[in-house]
Amino acid sequence: MKQLTLAVLSALLVLACSEARAPQTARAPLTVSDVVVTRSVPGMPMNAGYFKLTNNSGQAISISHVTSPQFASVQMHETIIKDEVARMVPIEMLNLQPGETVSFEPGGKHLMLMRPADDIDSVTLNFFAGASQLLSVSTVFNR
Amino acid sequence: MNFRKAFIVLASLAAITAGAWFSFQLASPPPAPGTATVLPATSELPEFSLLDQSGQMIGRDVFEGQCDLLFFGFTHCPDICPTTLQVLADAQQQLANAGREPLPRIVLVSVDPERDTPDVIGHYVGHFGIDSLGITGPMEELRKLTNSLGIFFEKSGPDEENYSVAHSAVVLLIDPDGRFHSLFGTPHKAENFVHDLPIIMSAR
Repeated sequence: MKQLTLAVLSALLVLACSEARAPQTARAPLTVSDVVVTRSVPGMPMNAGYFKLTNNSGQAISISHVTSPQFASVQMHETIIKDEVARMVPIEMLNLQPGETVSFEPGGKHLMLMRPADDIDSVTLNFFAGASQLLSVSTVFNR
Repeated sequence: MNFRKAFIVLASLAAITAGAWFSFQLASPPPAPGTATVLPATSELPEFSLLDQSGQMIGRDVFEGQCDLLFFGFTHCPDICPTTLQVLADAQQQLANAGREPLPRIVLVSVDPERDTPDVIGHYVGHFGIDSLGITGPMEELRKLTNSLGIFFEKSGPDEENYSVAHSAVVLLIDPDGRFHSLFGTPHKAENFVHDLPIIMSAR
């Protein structure tokens, strides 16, 4: 019984050591999650994109624009409600501080995706800082 | 004799309990809306002449006979308008599931009549709720309605093709008499309408 206990403890120790030595998966400087691109109403030119964007790096990241090959135009916007009046304001530059997560969500920041191509099932979003593409993500085009 | 005494005591206790319960019921205020602002007095809508989604001319009597939830928006709006209309559609569905009929009607009044023809707005509102109504029409007629209800809207944008419209985001309740009755402010949540609408309508 004592030998069995020692064997189990030894095995656990080996596992723990190998876990500790395993190389850490490097996190990308910029990651995106919870991506949703909604088809507002079939046949209508306007659609919206929502997601969470996280800056995992130690430096500030600025997103200048987003493109999608499936849409004629993509713009970053924010719906601002003041005194019960809703205004859609363009986001010229999206700045993320180190460790910061910015949410694009209904009634707030959002992508405005205009004039979709015919019969598309999926959408690709490309995030840029000037001429540099920082991130690309694909998602279903859903309702 | 003992049985008679016990009966009297029990009857007295029952009477006291019943009295206390009725007093409590009388003293308790009726349930109140949690979110909606009910106007101290309902207000009459102005005369106007606009178009519904089939292109028929309509006036203020279109709001008579049912409870209407009025939202002012436009079909080229990607975010707040479809989000709000979906909230109203969800609320309508939840009220239907709870057997809370008659159901409110969802009404979208376009603040962008240049692009929102009757066909366009009809196609659009058809995706939000049951028997929803879309209203559009000449700007001067639209202003009669919005001005009387305190609804603001203003076109803004780089050019005549790519523009947005800032607009009031409140939802107005027009009662079955066709009168402005209550107002729901932002942020809109389906549960607010599901909670408040039956209370408001039963209190009329």
